[in-house]
Amino acid sequence: MTHIIMAGEQMEADVLVIGGGPAGLMAAIHAAESGAKVTLIDKANTVRSGSGATGNDHFRAYIPAFHGPDMEPVVKEVAKSQAGWTRPQSFVRTWMKTSFDIVKMWDDWGIPMKHEGRWEFSGHTFPGKPFTTLKYSGQSQKPILTKEAKKRGVKIVNRVTAFDLITDHGISGAIGVHGREDKIITFSAKAVVLCTGGCVRLYPGPTPGWMFNRADSPHTTGDGRAMAYRAGADLLNMEIPMRWAGPKYFAKCGKATWVGVLRDPRDKPVGPFVTKPDRIYGDPISDSYKGLFEDYMKTGKGPVYMDCRGISNEDYDYMMHYMKHEGLHGILHHFDEEGIDLRENPIEFMTYEMTTRGGIHYNEKGETSMPGLYAAGDEYFGGISAAATFGWIAGGKAAGFAFGRDAPSKNAGKESSEALKNLVREMRNRKDGPSWQEINVALNQVMSDYIGPTRSDTLVEAGTAHLLRIKEKARKDLVAKNQHELIHCLEVLNLLDVAEVIFAAIKERKETREKYIRVDHPYKNPAFDEKVLVCRKGPEGPLTEWKAIND
Amino acid sequence: MPPIIDDSKCTGCGVCAEHCPQDVFFGSEIKKTPVIAFPEECWHCYACVLDCPVPEAIRLRTPVPMMLSYR
Ligand SMILES: Cc1cc2nc3c(=O)[nH]c(=O)nc-3n(C[C@H](O)[C@H](O)[C@H](O)COP(=O)(O)OP(=O)(O)OC[C@H]3O[C@@H](n4cnc5c(N)ncnc54)[C@H](O)[C@@H]3O)c2cc1C
Ligand code: SF4
Ligand code: SF4
Repeated sequence: MTHIIMAGEQMEADVLVIGGGPAGLMAAIHAAESGAKVTLIDKANTVRSGSGATGNDHFRAYIPAFHGPDMEPVVKEVAKSQAGWTRPQSFVRTWMKTSFDIVKMWDDWGIPMKHEGRWEFSGHTFPGKPFTTLKYSGQSQKPILTKEAKKRGVKIVNRVTAFDLITDHGISGAIGVHGREDKIITFSAKAVVLCTGGCVRLYPGPTPGWMFNRADSPHTTGDGRAMAYRAGADLLNMEIPMRWAGPKYFAKCGKATWVGVLRDPRDKPVGPFVTKPDRIYGDPISDSYKGLFEDYMKTGKGPVYMDCRGISNEDYDYMMHYMKHEGLHGILHHFDEEGIDLRENPIEFMTYEMTTRGGIHYNEKGETSMPGLYAAGDEYFGGISAAATFGWIAGGKAAGFAFGRDAPSKNAGKESSEALKNLVREMRNRKDGPSWQEINVALNQVMSDYIGPTRSDTLVEAGTAHLLRIKEKARKDLVAKNQHELIHCLEVLNLLDVAEVIFAAIKERKETREKYIRVDHPYKNPAFDEKVLVCRKGPEGPLTEWKAIND
Repeated sequence: MPPIIDDSKCTGCGVCAEHCPQDVFFGSEIKKTPVIAFPEECWHCYACVLDCPVPEAIRLRTPVPMMLSYR
């Protein structure tokens, strides 16, 4: 085996955007429009990277022409939704107030935001409640946003994975590792926007032997959360679990686009909201009760089926159109392979694995707890509209911050770059040791066995000890046979850091509240009312702190 | 395993390898039929099929563990 040296390279910008999903591309576009010199780096290729790779179709928005002049009912409804219930109302208000501007921009750029020439709202809606999700056709959103970013002079560097922020003299850029060449790049910048998406591959997925079968993109592995944490920024609500549901075993699925009724094996609807397929509502029972499918299986009453039988021809065409735009070609192709016809065949649904709902603590200006460091999108889950809106806002703010400071010194990042070079060199040159898969599987086991649906002090204690042993092994022994495996090794190191924070947060929140359950503390603790749990790095591991909700 | 390329149709343009978010085609070279280096890392996003300029040069096959259960 040849000895890998790792070449070094330098790049400079006013604003560095890390991650080119909808959040990162919107941040880059706004920062460049504001006059900043912008570099955007992406682990994959911004044309098709991230969870919005081949499309989305529901965009939370307040549209005056549709909703009327009063925005408040929409704000209240979004604040209760899966995307808003852990956010302060002021955050949701800024989001809704800005959303229409974003919708108009996207429509102008060629992302169709209207259905047959009109604003159409459907899905994720409870009968009698305000509509909040605009239907749009997002299949080409990524190529279009990429084009708009390039038009404004954004320099896009694809296939580079950021691994650490540069923190000498404040936030001064980041260090990235190339996914195809043995190369480490130091990006020096006056402000950084983290937009690396969600935190997939923490828990075992629906097909544990097939690890990349996931609802969200499996190459989004909590890198932003881990980088922010290591740099000293606050993470928020990491203990609060989030779960998706969808067709059993085929995870890239998008649930809310299905127009059918969720029924038990005797054809009885399992929820109270719909009794026949209705494109306006879908079946919202699984919005408020994601564990439904798992509970029906556990109690022997299941399985539960998504039953589109009886759908009108018009609604069937509507559903098929939007399934394509939500990026569901994979499952549509599978229908063809197997001769499945949704008008005749009810499809079994399941509850997918957990991840964390929480993430980087960013406010309605996209600011994190560290000056010069901004974050947006699924760095704290919010869906596509939050990603686009807060990406836009964060990009503008980051540009403003960059104009107010000098360029970082030439030496900034030297030390961290050397440290990363050594770590990477070791992983690339080692001969025997665990692969990234081994560590990822071991991590998945600890997550589901010790802080899965059942959580308690004794489980957290035992699980933390085991996790730390895995982490030590990973740092010391991981082997990467090529750059592709190297990136996976770095992802796994990030996931381990995120996992450690989640363990610490669960240890601290000794109560049961909403979707957070501790079997050894089955009651709400009023001391935590109106408070959120923040985690940050301490000298010996994660520190936790309770803060008032609006801090 | 996914994806599958038809050698006789593929022009080696490299678009699938450039766009794949999971870098399933790692190690591919331009002007050659891409290598499917990590088929088990396919997310079934369909970008490679959607963006391939040649009809039917590339397709996906659903792995058996991912088969839907239906009635
Ligand atoms: C099938 C499907 C359907 C969906 N439908 C909807 C919907 O209808 N409505 C809705 O609101 N939401 C929907 N979502 C969720 C939505 O896609 C996400 O919320 C949205 O894409 C988040 O945008 P983002 O920019 O924050 O993250 P992503 O789109 O995930 O982008 C993250 C980016 O960061 C890059 N990256 C990651 N790590 C690094 C690193 N270390 N260095 C550099 N780059 C990195 C990735 O390559 C990627 O480009 C859906 C998701 C899926 C999978
Ligand atoms: S379907 Fe998506 S993840 Fe799979 S090979 Fe094609 S581009 Fe890559
Ligand atoms: S995009 Fe199509 S033609 Fe081009 S290399 Fe891939 S399979 Fe071949």
